Formats: sequence, structure tokens, C-alpha cells
Amino acid sequence: MKKIALMLFGIAMFGMLVVEAQVKSISGTVTSSEDGTGIPGVSIVVKGTTIGTTTNMDGEYQLSVPNDAQTLVFSFVGMKSIEAPITGTTVSVSMESDYIGVDEVIVMGYGTQGKSEITGSTVQVGGEQLENMPVATIEQALQGKVAGVSITASSGTPGSVQDIRIRGRSSITAGNEPLYVIDGVPVVNSDVSLATSGSNLSALASLNSNDIESLTVLKDASATAAYGARGANGVIVITTKSGKSGEAKINFSATYGFSNDATDGPDVLTGAQREELFYEAIYNTYGSAYDFDEAGAKDFYESYPNTFGSDYVVWNEAGRPETNWQDVITNKNAPMQEYNLSASGGIDAMSYYASFGYFDQEATVIGSDFKRLSGALNLTADIKPTLTFSTRNNASHSYQDGLLETSAYFSNPRTTKYFMPPIEQPYLEDGSINIFGTSMPNPLWIAQEDIDDSKLTRIISNNSLTWDTPVENLIFTSRVNIDYQVYNYKRYRNPVRGDGDSSFGYGWVANRNRANYVFQNSLDYSFDIDGGHNFDVKVLQEFQKNRLLFMETDGDNFSDIGLTNLNSAGNPTAANSWFTDWSIASYLGMVHYSYNGKYIADATIRQEGSSRFSDDNRWGTFWSVGGAWNIHRESFMSDIEVINNLKLRASYGVTGNANIDLNQYQELLNFDSDYAGEGASYPGNFGNPDLTWETSHTVDIGIDFGILKNRITGSVGYFRRESKDLLLDVPLSLTTGFEEQTLNIGRMENKGFEAELMIDVVRMNDFNISIGGNIGTVENKVQELAEDINGDEINITDQTQRVETGHPAYGWYMPTWAGVDPQTGDELWYVDGEGSETTSNFNDANQVWQGGSAIPTLTAGLNLHIDFKGVFLDLNGYFAGGHKVYEEWHRYTHGTDVYSVAYYQGVAALMDRWQEPGDEGTRYGKIEYTGRPWQRHSKFLYDGDYFRLKDVTLGYDLPQSVTSMINVDGLRVFVRGTNMFTWVKDEYLEYDPEVDVSGYTELTQPPIKSVIFGLNLNF
Amino acid sequence: MKTVNILARITMVFVLLVSINACTTDDLDPSLEQNKLIQGGITSVDNLYAILKGSLSRMTEVNYYGRDYVINNEVRTDNCFSNGNSGRFITQATFSYNANTGYFWDEAYEAIAGLNIIINGVDLNELEGDMDYGTHLQGQAYALRALIHFDLLKQYGQQHVGGTLGVPYVTEFKGEDLLPARKSVEETKQLILGDLETAFNMMSEDYSSKVLPSKYLAKAIESNVAVYFGMWDRAITASEAVINSGLYDIISANSFASSWENGLAANSIFELAFNETDNRGSDAIAYIYRGGSYGDVQVIDEIADLYEAGDVRADILGYEDDMLRNMGKFPEIQGYDNVPVVRYEEIILNYAEALLETGGDALTEINKITSNRGASAYETVTKDDILNERRKEFIFEGKRYDDLLRTGSDIEKVYMQQNIAATISYGDHRLAWPVPKAETDANSNMIQNEGY
Repeated sequence: MKKIALMLFGIAMFGMLVVEAQVKSISGTVTSSEDGTGIPGVSIVVKGTTIGTTTNMDGEYQLSVPNDAQTLVFSFVGMKSIEAPITGTTVSVSMESDYIGVDEVIVMGYGTQGKSEITGSTVQVGGEQLENMPVATIEQALQGKVAGVSITASSGTPGSVQDIRIRGRSSITAGNEPLYVIDGVPVVNSDVSLATSGSNLSALASLNSNDIESLTVLKDASATAAYGARGANGVIVITTKSGKSGEAKINFSATYGFSNDATDGPDVLTGAQREELFYEAIYNTYGSAYDFDEAGAKDFYESYPNTFGSDYVVWNEAGRPETNWQDVITNKNAPMQEYNLSASGGIDAMSYYASFGYFDQEATVIGSDFKRLSGALNLTADIKPTLTFSTRNNASHSYQDGLLETSAYFSNPRTTKYFMPPIEQPYLEDGSINIFGTSMPNPLWIAQEDIDDSKLTRIISNNSLTWDTPVENLIFTSRVNIDYQVYNYKRYRNPVRGDGDSSFGYGWVANRNRANYVFQNSLDYSFDIDGGHNFDVKVLQEFQKNRLLFMETDGDNFSDIGLTNLNSAGNPTAANSWFTDWSIASYLGMVHYSYNGKYIADATIRQEGSSRFSDDNRWGTFWSVGGAWNIHRESFMSDIEVINNLKLRASYGVTGNANIDLNQYQELLNFDSDYAGEGASYPGNFGNPDLTWETSHTVDIGIDFGILKNRITGSVGYFRRESKDLLLDVPLSLTTGFEEQTLNIGRMENKGFEAELMIDVVRMNDFNISIGGNIGTVENKVQELAEDINGDEINITDQTQRVETGHPAYGWYMPTWAGVDPQTGDELWYVDGEGSETTSNFNDANQVWQGGSAIPTLTAGLNLHIDFKGVFLDLNGYFAGGHKVYEEWHRYTHGTDVYSVAYYQGVAALMDRWQEPGDEGTRYGKIEYTGRPWQRHSKFLYDGDYFRLKDVTLGYDLPQSVTSMINVDGLRVFVRGTNMFTWVKDEYLEYDPEVDVSGYTELTQPPIKSVIFGLNLNF
Repeated sequence: MKTVNILARITMVFVLLVSINACTTDDLDPSLEQNKLIQGGITSVDNLYAILKGSLSRMTEVNYYGRDYVINNEVRTDNCFSNGNSGRFITQATFSYNANTGYFWDEAYEAIAGLNIIINGVDLNELEGDMDYGTHLQGQAYALRALIHFDLLKQYGQQHVGGTLGVPYVTEFKGEDLLPARKSVEETKQLILGDLETAFNMMSEDYSSKVLPSKYLAKAIESNVAVYFGMWDRAITASEAVINSGLYDIISANSFASSWENGLAANSIFELAFNETDNRGSDAIAYIYRGGSYGDVQVIDEIADLYEAGDVRADILGYEDDMLRNMGKFPEIQGYDNVPVVRYEEIILNYAEALLETGGDALTEINKITSNRGASAYETVTKDDILNERRKEFIFEGKRYDDLLRTGSDIEKVYMQQNIAATISYGDHRLAWPVPKAETDANSNMIQNEGY
């Protein structure tokens, strides 16, 4: 920490030094014309320069200006801008409201647009909503804030990937992830981790949320048109902070807090309950054949130790000690902390933003944490009267001490809770870790010895040169962006106990370097034609190349305990490297037309070529048209004062998706095989030279409104997206030697309504209450799939899901559970779905549609803001529903057999089981001493609906009277709670309801419930 | 006019800049550094050898000879049971499988796809290299194609469940018929025998390897096929061809245990290669037979009584705690040991059985086995003796299930530890695997086995 503090100090000093360089001083006060009180945050700029500042909490400002400065420009959102001449050393102004003129500027990626000029569907989240969010990955901030966007964490391990679906699933087997754009450049933000058996790591975890100015979600064809070729799944535009003109502003923030699991998960059996069920199983299975009653089961068990073992004998002799394995694996009140220091300002023709951040979060399970160091430097310099150079640089190093998770790996601590018998002990009598005495590896030992480390270093450098050409309003921009990601992974398994014990230790090291370059050239031209016709035209050319270099090596038989690098591995077992690349070339043309701000039209065309397709089918053409009518600006509306904003908008367009594996179009031999110590090859890819872009055709219509001086604002919209020529992995007959071939075939639609509403209940100078909310629906239906030569539809089916026309993609499809037979205690299933005949033979029960899929059909967000004399309260909630989730691993944890009572552990709910003829309505059938196969059916399919209070913040902005005494511009203290409350509809869904897009609960880290205390200082 | 000039200049600058990094379609060609195109990528006989090894590598996968093919044919018999320690093989041992699991169907046909490239995917005369060796390679591919189709036929064919359907016999890579229907059992058998004839004729004795198909492997497989279908005369000629080649020996009593440690012994006709860098790790056969992590496949207690005192094969057995275990076959827990596919003792016992069925001298042949195992010699020999000797000899090698079915036996419930609750009669639909659902979904010409 000492080092970090020193660096923070260094950066602070840099900020201070910059301030020294000014001379003539002007001060004044900006007040509201309505009530005469000071307005904080008003931007003041010396006209024609970037020199400026903002007012403090009381509306006062001080500014050093060049001696020849003539005019100051005062501007503030919601107020009419004022230009005031500099006459003397005091310039004070009074500003009046401009409710009608409120036009939030929306960042669209390749440019910005006033909100009233937008013809598509976009939502921007910015400013304070992103600051001091205690999250490792920035997109978590979007949850609940944007209608129609579903976000779930793939794991609660800090830094993990968030699954984002914008308006549902647009593709069946190609990717459904949105495109990410950072500062105008498409980037790759996928999971960087290499091990499928461990924690994953999002590339976005490399970004510090405090460096982000805004996040914009582009949803429809008109909004995403600029990225048409890859915009079918929506676009998330991330804009980093820029320097603001004027005096240096320094911001320091610190947060410290604690986190725990947001939900506890299912309770498990106690040792005593487990023993009771064990004897019951012995009796039910052997009682009649070997002629003993229920009380005799214990004796029978003890007389056959060869068959049944003697675990309970040992346990009883030891005095029946109960272990709560959840307590053993939990890192209670896991600390998290974050520190950020940033400085921004302007000197002459240059503005800057510089920041440094440190983030550290321990996981809620033992042996895992995440740390990030990040720095940013954004500079804009007017190097010549007509040339502006801008560079945005972001560098970070993230370190994730991960763990084995997601699946039921015996060394996954989340497995321990549900699989480790409660009659086994974590510690020996002398207090040391019980290394060898547990049936599965002791998580205390694994957390101490084994290693799953991910390190990601990411550098993004975005550089542009803008030339204000001699032709008025014609601007040329050339941009080069480099995104370099260096990922290193180290795995080590100790030789004493666990996954490395049979090979005397195991080690694996892997490196992956990703270099992603983007080159852009663009021309912007805007011109007016008399009578209020405004045109903005943009043409752009872009080339993107991605290179990926991978290296790994592993080995076993370590020479000594405690040495974890491959240097000590006696037996190298693998060495591997590979290189792949892809590239994309595009040409884009956009026209934006506005007639007096009333009638807006957009047209966009983009041609894009992708290396994923063969020469003949490489290029795709994507386009969109959009229109908007600002009705409130019509003269006939001028009398209707109650309506401040009323806009009708509609758009239609074609966007694309090429999110498939590389080289799919080629018929390939693979060489990553070996036999008897020699290299080998095999046919790896069926190939399809006709492969080309998947397209989505989207209609979007909506109304935006603002009434009562914009105290009530909102929008209502409808969309329908039809995806065609799907990039579908069509199953092949396995006799071909291949599982599937990617074809452009099939159609699927998503449609839904979206609405947003924001109400300022109280709007006063020092007292405000606002309530807002959003809601989005999405209905998904497969319309067409591939057919084989006999005209039979080729479906994709597994044990729980199916893809078939007329149903949602991957809709739930499995046998329906019919309860327990009161006479026999057998579990029953319907042969052909509910209402049909029942059977106790699982294999006789046919799979039937269960309704719904894993994707929510309804998502909603709710927020409340209250502030009163500097004290503020923010609440934010998220609802997702209409989907179903499936409980994985029930074969073991819900097993009415040896898995729950003899080998592993069962959930406490098992106590509700059938015991004797006549027992009706039990949740579980007869417990038996046997092992049952996997039987996936509707008993373990739950309604996924849940509501979560994502965020509660209570804070206080100290008044000027206090801050001026300590010589700072502003000081805020706050306490923030995340996931403080969770409501789940289905009583049987005991795992955390935030399940990833697969729809399966996993043995992974649930999201966290945290409380943090923070401080935000401006000076 | 001035404006126009400037505009023209700007346009030129833009065009220039764009053209610097503008891209033609060719610029977008992706790198291909780890793969080759099948068309034009095979230029030499050695390339065919690499593909042959690729198919062999497919055969070593966990669903096939890597583990499951072997284990499924033990755990469904009276040799072994699944104690369910890690949940593995319970489904198979209780015969409660359904079409959701494909077993080795996909690995088998993936291996065959590579073999068909060798057999007829390229014109041998257009390749560089030794043509004689190329012919031998094609013969090896024919032998493996027959072997794999035979494995498929035994497990998916309807010969024991009252039907007539065999399996699709695929002879072309990406051929005309991408949705093949099942051949009959008889057709499948004839195609296997045809491929074995071709294989034997094309392979040369000059190339000998136990981890690659060799000339007499074709005859050894033919012997197995003939015994399986009760073609006793053919079994005799095929077995004699192997025996008379003089290339193989029965392993002696002293070497029996060590032959499992070292592999490549004199009794080996064909085995699949595994080693320290190429193995199935925790999915290896050894890992399921013993140890506390998986160790699901336990030996039925009564097996300890199968062997008489002094029989070296009893040394294969051992105990872990109270559990009877296979300790000696596939001894290396990490799965470094080769997996035998055909060994010489099987040919001797095939020969003995065929002689018995045709009135020949079976006694001499079966006693060649007992005399090398420290067991008493037979004085008379019956069919049951031969089957019992096969059980003792090949226990844990995945041959028991086929022996039971080909002789029309029920899967009897004899021991308490067996996973089945009651005897499964010969003819029960569960004796044949289901065709995987992934196949029936994709191929409307495919007929599912009855009962699934």
C-alpha cells in the first residue's frame, strides 16, 4: 500500500504543477433566475479556447484566463447557455431554465447525437451511475438500467464474465454476445481465460469503472447500423473520460467494504439426518430379503462392513461430530477496497485526463481474490489551428487468484459444501488440516496448496488526428487503435492430496497474446440548406486485424513439495502453441437529415468483408433507415405547455452476425493429434464454401415523451427482429465422421415491447425525489430449420433442451415428473407429458415441452433517488422473469440413494421422502441402497423469476461551509450496499437465481452481497 | 472554384489514405498455420501414415478403447460392478441407458472417416513416396475399417435382440450418401470379411508393429468374427493362418504379470499405444479400476474363487481396503499402459473352440493356455470349459459381454454385488446399445433399435 500511496501522491503533484501556469484571475457566482440560489457544476469556458472551469457547490467559481480573453461561455444541462463579456475581475450571471431545450448528448460510437435527433433505440448510462461502483467488471453497472437487456454473472468470482443478451437470443449456434466499442473502435472483450475447469476472466475486468464517462446500449438496426455487420446482437459503446477545459480538477475516491454470498444456497443434511436416511435405505433395500425390521438396519449394516463400509461406526465412536462444510469454505466478510485518483483540466490548447486506480476484492470463498492496477492518460491537443491530435491510453494489470469451479470437481470448494459428508472432519485433533482423512480433498488444504492464477495485462491506445479542412464543416479524421492483451495462466496441483496426488504434482502454464489493431479513416461533412435543412454526412473506412498467439506447457512428477513452477517438474507432458488471426474490412456511409429539428431521417449503409468466409462470399451489405418526428416542435403544439417532448421514431434495417469459429468454410485436416509418440492428423472440418453472413432484419418503433416541464419523461417502443440465413451448426449424421456443418439456414424471430419512465416527484433546489423504471419483454420463436434430403426437420436435442420450429430456441424439453407413488414409494413420470399415463421406468417417459427457455422473457429495472440538503439516497432493483432454470447435480445432491447418504451429501429437503405405504405428496420417493443413473426431468426445472435490490447508496455531500474550511471543492461520504435483498418466486430454487445463459445452476460462486463505505474528494 | 480545388485535394488525400490500408478480398484470407486443406493438402504417402495414426488416436479416446468400450463390456457382466463412487458406469451396469448417450458411435465413425481418405480419398499414384508402402498403408486402413465396423456391429447390431439390422457400413469420405441406412447384420458381416480379405492381401509382412495393424491382424480379426458368428471352418483357417505365421507366442506364466507392465509382448497381435504424454489421465481405464478418486469399477467378491491355487492370473487381483480390485491389468494408474485389442491367446482359444465345434482336438489347444498359467491341464474339454477359460484369461479386458451374448446366454443375476436386480434374458432390447439420438435426429434414414 505504501508504494501505491506514493504513486497517488506523485500523480497529485503532477496535477498541482499544471495549475501553476496561469495568470489573470476572474471570479463570480452563477445563480438560478428562479430562486436566486447558486448552481453547482456550471461549465465556464473562455470562448474560443479550452480554458475553463466549473462552479462549486454554491455556484461560485474562480478562473485564470489569458489577458486577451474577451468572453466567457456559461453552460449547464437544462439551462440556456449565456455568453458574458469579461469586464473586470468579477463576472456573475443568472441562468434560466430551458426545459424544452434539454437534449442529452448520446454517444453512438462513431459519433454523438442529440437525443431528440435519434431515430433508433438507445440507452445511455453515465456519470454518477458508474462512479464508485464496487464491481470488477463495468458492464455489471448496466443491470436493471436498460430495458430489454438481460445480464447475469457467470460466477461471483471477482472479474468473471457477465452474460449479456440484448433483446434475447438472435442466433441459435453462432455467438449472441453484443459487440463492444471503446472510444469509437470495435474491440474484443471476450473471456480471456484458458482453463474450462476454473474461474473465467472477462477482458472488461481490465477497465476501471471510474475511467468510464458513459456506457451506451444500442439496440435496434438504426442505432447499431454503423456497426451493421456485427450489430445483430446489439452494441455496447464505452466512452472513457476526457480532459475538461479549465483549471485542474483532482478527484480522489476511496472505498472499503465487506462482501458475503448474496444467497446461501440449499441447506444440506446434518450428519444425524444423513445417518437416519442411510439406515432407512438399508432397510428399504435389504429388509424383506434378509428379514429384518427398520430397527434392525443398524445391526445389518454393522455386520457387512465389506459391502457397506464402517463410516457411521467410526463417526458414532468419535462422538458424532457434525461438520458444517459451508462454514469451512466461506471467507466471511471478505474485504474489498478501491482507490482512485484522477486529474483533469486544460492548459492552453491542450486538455488532459489522467488517472490511477487500485482495486482489490477477496472472494467469498477461501483462497480466491482479484486485484487490479490501472492507469489512464487521455490527451487532446490543438496542435495547429486546423489540426487536433487526440490520444487515449489505458493500461492495466489484473490478477485473479481463481479456483476450480462451475462443475462438480472434487477440489472445487463449492462442490465441497454439497458433496462432502458432514460426518467427516476438516481438522485433526491437534488443530492441523485433516489432509488424508476426508473422502474428497479437504478444501482447506486445496486453498492453501493449489494454484489457479490468471494475470491479464491490457493496453489500449487510441490515437486520432482530426483535420478541420479548409472546406467549412468538412472534417477528416484518421484513427489507429491498438488493443494488446497479454494473458498468463498458472495451474498447480499439489502432490500430497487432490488432483495432483496420483502424479506427484501437476503444473500447467499457458500464455495467450492478443493484438487487435484498428485503422479508421473518416470524413464528416455537415451543411445546411436554406429553410432549416441540416445534413450530416459521414463516410468511413475501417480495417481490423486480430492476432492471437497461444503457448502452453505442462508437466508432472514434481521434485519437491512447495515448488510450483515447471522448472521442478520431472516429467514434461505437453508443449503446445498455435497462432490464428482474423480480419475485417469495412466501408460505411451515413446521412443524417434534420428539418428544423422536427423531421429527422437517417440512412446508413455498411459493406463489410470478413476472413471467416470464403473469397466468393466474404462481403456483406448492411443498411438501415430511420425517421423521427419531434411533434412537440410543431407550431400546433406550442400552446400545449404540458407537453415538452413528444417524438415518434421508427427504423428498419439489416444487421449481421459472423460470430462463428475461424476457418469454418474450409475443408480441413487437423494436426493436433498424436499416436505412439508421433504426430497424427485427422479430418477436422467438414467445410462449406458457401458460408456467408447471418442477417437480422429489425423493425423498431417508439414514442419518447416528456410532460410537465419534463418532470415525467419516458418512452414506449416495439421491436421485431427476424434473423435469417442463420449461421447454424446443422447436425450431420455421425457416420460422416463429423458432428455438424455450419450452414446459412433457418429463421428465428424475437419481438417485444420496451418502456421507460422517469418521474421527478419533487424537484427543488435542495430537495429532489425521482422514481424511474424500465421494462422489456422478448418473445423468441424458431421459424425455420434445416431439413435433410427426406424433408425431415433436423432438430437439436439434448436431455433437457430442444431446438424445433414453433418453439423458443433451446426451449426446455424433458420428461414431466408425476410425483411419488403413495403405495410403492417409486418416483413417477408421465409417459407423454402431464395428464398422460404414469410410469416408474424413467426410460419409458418421453421428453415433452415444458414451456419457456433459459432466457428471461421479461426484465425490468426500478430506481429511486432522493436528495435533501446534500444527503442522498439511491435505490436500484432488477427483475428478470418468464424463464426457467434447471438445477444441475441433482443426481447426487437430491439422490434418494447412496449418493446422498453413503458417498456424498444430500440437501436437507430430502427429509420430505416417502417412508411407508400411504405416504402422500412427498417430494422424494423411497430412499434405497443403490445408485441411480442421471434422470433429468421437470422436478428440477424451476421458475427463474427473481427480483434483486442491486444497489442502495446513502451519501452526504458536505456543504461548502465545511469543505472550504478544509480547502477542498467537494467532499462526499457514502455507504453502498449491493444485492442486499433477493426475492425468488420458486420455493424450490434455492441456488442463486442469477443463473448464466445456459440455464443450469452451477457449483460456482454466487453473486455477492456487499456493504462498502466510500469517500470522494474533489480539490 | 477554389472550393472545388480544395475538395478535389481532400478527396485525393482521402482516396490515398484509404488505398494505403484499403483491402481487397484477398487481403482477408485467414492464416492457416495449424491445418491443411484436405484438397491438395495430401501430397505424399507419409501424409497417409499421419492420417492412419489420427484414426488410431481416435480409437484411444475415452469412449472407445481409452476406457468405456472395455469397461462397459465388463461392468454389464458377472465379472465387475460399479460401486458408484464417482457416479460412473452405474447407468450401464444397471442397463438403464437411453439414446441420449452415444457411447463410441461417433469416435468409431470419426476414425473410419480418416481411414476412407487413405483407402479412396486420394489417388495413390499421384502421391510422392514408396508405392508399396502406400499399398500396405491402404491395407492397414482396410483392417481397421473392418475392426471398427465389427465393434459397432457387436454393440449396436440387432443380432441378440431379435432383429436383423446391423450398422451403416461407410466406405467413402464425404461420399454420395451422407445419410446412410443400416445394413443388415449379414451384409455388415460380409462387408467386414471382405475388407479383411483386402487388408490381408494388401498388407506386407515387411512391416511389423504391434501398435499399428499388421498383416496377420487381418486374419486374427477374421478369426474373431468367425467365432462370433459361429463360422467354425472359417475360424479354423483364419486361426491357423495366424498360428502358422510363427510371429506370436503365448506369454509364459513368469512373464504374465510383467507383460501388462511393459506391453509389446510376444503374445500381442495388436494393441493401442498410450504413454506418459498421450494418455487419458483421470479418465484412464486404470483410474476407474482402482483408487479412491474414481475407482467405481470393483470386482465381484466371488471372482477371487474363480482361479485355482497357483494360477498366475489370480495375481491380477488384489484388495484396496475391503474391495476386490483389478490390480494387475493396466497397472499404471495414470493410464500409461497400452490397451490390447487382440492377443495371441484369444486366437488359440478361438481355435480350440472351433475345433471343439467341428470335432477336432480342442484339448491340446486349451492346455497350451493352462500350461502357461500355472493351472491344471484339462483332461476333457467342453464348450463351458472354453468359455470359462476365456473368462479367466481375458477378465477386465472387455470380452466377457460379447462371449455371453454370442453363446445366447442371459445376463444372470448371480451375485448380490451385481448392479442388476434380476436376470436380463437373452433377447432383451437392452442388450444392444441404442443408436444415439444425435444420429437419429440428423439422419432420417436411421432406424432406432427396438425399445429405445
